[in-house]
Amino acid sequence: MKTWLCLLLLSTAACARGASADEPPAATPGQNACQISDNHILGPRMGERPLPLLSGDAAHGFRPACSVPWTILSPHNDPLPVVGCYQDNLLQVANDAACGHPTGRLWVSIRWVLTSGEKQGAQSTATTCQRLETGTYAASRDFPTKPCVPGNPPRADADSARPAAAVPAPVTPAASAATPAAPSGATPRPQR
Amino acid sequence: MGGAGGLGHRVREVRPRLLRGALHSLLLAAVALFFLNFNLVGTASPSKRYSQDLVYAWFGDEAWLYPRPHAPAAQGEPAAAHVVVVMIDERALALRGARWPAPVQFHAQFLAELQVLRPRAILLDFLLIDPAPPADICDLLGVGARLRAEGTALYLAVTGPGDLATLQAPACRDARGSRIQVDRVFTPVSVQRQADDSDFVGRHYPFEQRDERQAPGEGIISAAVRMYCDATPAPQGCITRLIDTMPTNAGFELAWSPTGDPFNQRWAQGSCVETASPLRAILNKPALPRESRCPPVATLFARVLLDPAEDPTLSAERLLTLGDGAFLMVGGNFRGSADLFTTPLHTLLPGVYYHAVALQNLLAFDGRPKVRKEFRTPKIAFYCYDLLVLWLLAAIFLWRQHWLHGVRPLGLSPFEISPAARGWIAPFFARFPTPAWIIAATVVLLLMAAYRDVQLIAVAAVIVTVIIIELRVARGGEIRERLRGLLLYVAAMSLSLAVIVGAVWVGYRWLRLPPGDWLGYFSFAAFGFFLAHTAILEFGRRIDELYVARTAGGHST
Repeated sequence: MKTWLCLLLLSTAACARGASADEPPAATPGQNACQISDNHILGPRMGERPLPLLSGDAAHGFRPACSVPWTILSPHNDPLPVVGCYQDNLLQVANDAACGHPTGRLWVSIRWVLTSGEKQGAQSTATTCQRLETGTYAASRDFPTKPCVPGNPPRADADSARPAAAVPAPVTPAASAATPAAPSGATPRPQR
Repeated sequence: MGGAGGLGHRVREVRPRLLRGALHSLLLAAVALFFLNFNLVGTASPSKRYSQDLVYAWFGDEAWLYPRPHAPAAQGEPAAAHVVVVMIDERALALRGARWPAPVQFHAQFLAELQVLRPRAILLDFLLIDPAPPADICDLLGVGARLRAEGTALYLAVTGPGDLATLQAPACRDARGSRIQVDRVFTPVSVQRQADDSDFVGRHYPFEQRDERQAPGEGIISAAVRMYCDATPAPQGCITRLIDTMPTNAGFELAWSPTGDPFNQRWAQGSCVETASPLRAILNKPALPRESRCPPVATLFARVLLDPAEDPTLSAERLLTLGDGAFLMVGGNFRGSADLFTTPLHTLLPGVYYHAVALQNLLAFDGRPKVRKEFRTPKIAFYCYDLLVLWLLAAIFLWRQHWLHGVRPLGLSPFEISPAARGWIAPFFARFPTPAWIIAATVVLLLMAAYRDVQLIAVAAVIVTVIIIELRVARGGEIRERLRGLLLYVAAMSLSLAVIVGAVWVGYRWLRLPPGDWLGYFSFAAFGFFLAHTAILEFGRRIDELYVARTAGGHST
């Protein structure tokens, strides 16, 4: 009886693990949007509907500026670099005249636009990880669901007895979060 | 000739009997009507309201009772007029760096975001009565003017006619340089709520907010009424039709469904499919659903609209389908704001749902919602309908009594214990000292009163025991008589139930009356409430006999 129960539990666990490995998580729009470096707005998410643009900043508050179609923001349908980010949901573009009058750099909600960071997240098939000298790996949280491609391939002359503290620090999500994603001039991301 | 004469003679014989029977049943019905509406210390109202709640709990998700419009389930589905609650909470404010109370600047931003969804109308269920910087007010009016220009109607909650004055911004101009006037942007609507005195549940919705000195239509029209009527081809005609004859503080009844809107299943912690079986009431269990966490109106959280990471599964297409052509009711759910109300089926909900459900009712019933008798004109006509139904039930009751007398000449009710059974039971108890069996019976009844689960078991046990005793000791002929009496009772009850169902349906469907009277009718028909008042008939018969005797005496002299 106990053996059957163990087998059942083991097979259930294996199935659950297999299922999660087969289904990579879809990229979530807005998730950690402010932590992605070199992010671009690729186009509107809602077709031809005008995009509501905001002016202002975090310190003085945001205010509605105007609603314009994507073609006004990007006449040639080029990706627009994200120059600022607020609370993972507002993206700033280097355009201050889309409303027809000077407004300062404009903001758009990530709800209405598609970004390169989000697309990369969806297409990425490997986990960013580092091989530690101990033989183990330090990886981001999606490690169990995606294969690990180490950024530092093992050296032939590696000394297995070398202490782990001596190797360069692995890039972890926490470390990358501390790095400002936005180029100079971007509004600092306030704490939640 | 002789045959025709015989028939005429029979009709002459029967007619007075029929007339007397009709008059007696009318008298009985009038007594019943009085007792049904005898509201001593407010006891009649809870019974009616509870029976109404039960109807909606059992059948509220049936389209024949409440054909409420759901939010479209998928893209491509025709966007029928539907209602969506947009809920702003602390998290939504924080996403834009704002805090409670929601500033005008936040509302301006948020309206701009809602514009993308292309709704039919937007209600802001917030009182914007605190002074705000003119620039913020101008932003709000600017976005509002854009929405108006795109065909989206805007409504703002007010407590009185002067509330819009705080949103005047004389320097605010549109792109063409014209002044933006607040009353051209927002339609002020009343968000006053009504609750039943007996239990403080919000079952009915006011047509307008007005005082005694104002004529119907002169007050501030309630949010749902104004929004519904503005969406019709003749808004003023719609408002006049709804409220023209209504007294002050009149409202329409809100039909409720225990089942939540399917859209809410994506965030609701419990199931949106609530089942409330009538069997639970019969088994003495709580008959109304408890603490449903899935509201009956599709609800989009503002934080989900502002930040896709809050609900990654909500696709852009689904969002557009939800908002396209919708009536958006924007309300708040903030800790400590106390903007909650008690509903018949969903316990406490944020206040904006009150207006959303009212609008759903108006849409579901094509602008002809259910209205209580006390608000109707002429009131007496609707009570006459009640009297008519009770007259029919009384006639069935008297017919049953008459036939029962024919079947069981001794006059025993089919539910009474026969003399033979009494003769068996009494000596059994007589074996014990009187104090012992009286105390034992008292203890059993006390337990039955205290423990609801014991009630049904004990009643069933007593019935089975009495049946066994009757079968063992009663004569065969008596059992057959009793069975015939029982069949007669069942037939009369079935007929009464058919009358009740028909009456409630006619009242609901064609007279627009809420389904709150059935329990009263049923108690009269089923539990022998008539029996308690048949004494009045005996008194009436005695008066009738005296009258007949007097007129006969007068004729003879």
